[in-house]
Amino acid sequence: MKNECTTEARDGLHLVKVAGEVDLSWSQSIRKAVLDALGRAPAVGVDLSAVTYIDSSGIAALVEGFQSARGKGQKFALVAASPQVRAVLQLARLDRVFPMVDTAEAVTS
Amino acid sequence: MSARPLLRLELPAQPASLKPLRDAVCAALSRAGVAPDLRDRLKLAIDEAAANVIRHAYADCPAGTFRIEVRAARGSLRFALRDHAPAVDPARVRPRDLSECRPGGLGINFIDETMDYWRLRPLRRGGNLLVMRKRIRGGTHGGTE
Repeated sequence: MKNECTTEARDGLHLVKVAGEVDLSWSQSIRKAVLDALGRAPAVGVDLSAVTYIDSSGIAALVEGFQSARGKGQKFALVAASPQVRAVLQLARLDRVFPMVDTAEAVTS
Repeated sequence: MSARPLLRLELPAQPASLKPLRDAVCAALSRAGVAPDLRDRLKLAIDEAAANVIRHAYADCPAGTFRIEVRAARGSLRFALRDHAPAVDPARVRPRDLSECRPGGLGINFIDETMDYWRLRPLRRGGNLLVMRKRIRGGTHGGTE
């Protein structure tokens, strides 16, 4: 699977869709996409359904987004996180910290 | 200790090496009969160890290389990660408190949570050596119980 990070603007929500293996070689792009989305929309979802691998630098990008959103009172959630992502969040004991939802629509509800 | 390593690979210490490193570790562990869940955890730990070499050990000097060696023996896997970077102070490489929610610094926790043993030490002849061990229930195809 190709590594890819794209952002979709929806009604009141920006959805950052990540695919592939997230590691140190491009996790900064994801960090930037998440922070840019938070600068443009009141609610941001990060779709992780197509992520087959994530390391601590990828998790750090998500934590930074979560903290930035919380500081500004914005909505932020991880959408349809793959089993691989869930396993690493559990290892980092962050699985109960991040808001996790199954669909993009649920980010704003 | 088995005579031949399951894997021996030297790569440039740059982020683009992490994918080929993971693929090689994954293939070697699969050949050794390591179960997929554990294999994925070990792959993450090795990736984090190499990422630390790239980001921190070579931070203040031109990037060199690192070498990973994986061996199976007596129901354990032994991972040795060697670099040629300036000496790292092992006292500064410790897991952090996971109850703090902050970005960064999780890599050592992933290694610590996954491995049964790990030790980082600078070598007299230069560089650093990180040795990690993991007991494997039921052994591996490459080692002896």
